[in-house]
Amino acid sequence: MENLVKVTFSLNGRQVEAEVLPTMTVLEMIRRNFRLTAAKEGCGKGECGACTVLLNGEPVNSCLKLAASLTVSDQIVTVEGLEKDATMQAIQHAFVSEGAVQCGFCIPGMTMTSYKLLQSNPDPDEHQIKQALSGNICRCTGYRKIEAAVKKASETRRNK
Amino acid sequence: MSSISFFRPANLSEACELLAKPNHLAVAGGTDLIVKLRNGLFPNAAALVDISALPFKSIRKEGDRLIIGSGCTMSSVIASPEVNEYFPVLVKAASTVGATQIRNAATLGGNVANASPAGDTIPALFALEAEVLIVGQTGKRKVAIDEFFTGPGRSVLKAGELIEGFALPLRKTSGAFLKLGERRAHAISKINLALNVFNDGQKRYRIAIGSAAPTVLRCKSAEELLEKAGEIDAATLEKAAEFACETAKPISDVRSSKSYRKQMAGVLLKRALKAVI
Ligand SMILES: Cc1cc2nc3c(=O)[nH]c(=O)nc-3n(C[C@H](O)[C@H](O)[C@H](O)COP(=O)(O)OP(=O)(O)OC[C@H]3O[C@@H](n4cnc5c(N)ncnc54)[C@H](O)[C@@H]3O)c2cc1C
Ligand code: FES
Ligand code: FES
Repeated sequence: MENLVKVTFSLNGRQVEAEVLPTMTVLEMIRRNFRLTAAKEGCGKGECGACTVLLNGEPVNSCLKLAASLTVSDQIVTVEGLEKDATMQAIQHAFVSEGAVQCGFCIPGMTMTSYKLLQSNPDPDEHQIKQALSGNICRCTGYRKIEAAVKKASETRRNK
Repeated sequence: MSSISFFRPANLSEACELLAKPNHLAVAGGTDLIVKLRNGLFPNAAALVDISALPFKSIRKEGDRLIIGSGCTMSSVIASPEVNEYFPVLVKAASTVGATQIRNAATLGGNVANASPAGDTIPALFALEAEVLIVGQTGKRKVAIDEFFTGPGRSVLKAGELIEGFALPLRKTSGAFLKLGERRAHAISKINLALNVFNDGQKRYRIAIGSAAPTVLRCKSAEELLEKAGEIDAATLEKAAEFACETAKPISDVRSSKSYRKQMAGVLLKRALKAVI
């Protein structure tokens, strides 16, 4: 017996519907039902941040959020939904120009968390950047270049 | 897993009725529960009961208490002007839980109900002498936080009962929360300690240590020593630290060893006292 739950919520600014299993996570749902594959499953346990999306404007681990618990007023935003957003573009360009991307697996999560950081703090210092990104693990870059990229993106945004 | 049902009750009586049924699991932020479900810890789970539609999310003054709803996330506790004004130790403890993404989902109620000896807000709630407000099918009851836990992962909560919130005596306090983990951010405590200091005509100290026994412990011997001492000199500090080490009854496990934890109880107390006085 499959107990499907019908949910209605906003995904990247559009109201959508989905039928999900009670144990399905938001991560599984956005990847499988909506084919939005930027958010990744690194650990499935809240440790790595590769699955970070914005839920009502705040970064959360989509691997720990039940899809069935979403309601009409809930807004999910993924990297795909910020394609035309100037801050996200500045972040993406800075990640590329600083060489902050290697395999790329962590990057959608890194950029989402950085996006929220720059929204709430346009001029973060090194400590604040490290603190904000402490829930995002990168196995390739060694973090220095990622920190530099966030710093650079914040400068780009402030100087324009 | 596909035969599991899902409920999102809109009121308390419906929620309690559902949760009284066997293998019906309450889900708040899901940051403990979903991981456990994934790891196969609930092979018999019959239903997930999402409690996030219940009225558990407010922080409000009620007489001489501040009531913090169990559904408040760590982030909302950290952002609350009242909690900042009165209970800095709780703000500090909540700030050390996981990383931003976790704090945006993890609730205070979930941290307490999960009853991990390493739960970071628990020592803070001990030091603040919180009462746990419980609601069930037959009514409401209150339990002092130091009588709430019965062992690791176990509490006095019965099937069909939920934590509605926490009542904290409303008074200005100063405090410190320290934890030792594998790294500075995003780590589960090897040991943690909460210190709460307030003045009710006399300077009072409340000290609680986590991850150092099956449940969080108050360190009353050190509290009394400090209250009697008045001025805290180096000798008092050493003696208080000694009492903290004696209070701790830790075990060795994957995160740390017994002897390290025991010694660190004293070190953390000294650091906390230095930070507050
Ligand atoms: C990567 C990661 C890092 C973490 N880091 C920390 C850390 O540093 N410090 C720390 O203390 N914890 C940490 N945790 C554990 C967890 O995030 C916290 O314990 C959190 O507060 C749990 O709250 P929740 O709302 O997510 O609970 P849930 O997972 O929804 O529930 C936890 C348990 O409590 C029960 N429950 C929830 N709410 C209620 C209620 N109102 N009444 C009765 N029962 C209830 C549930 O049925 C379940 O058994 C971490 C978890 C992860 C995944
Ligand atoms: S996949 Fe969600 S935190 Fe790792
Ligand atoms: S670039 Fe490979 S994990 Fe970060």
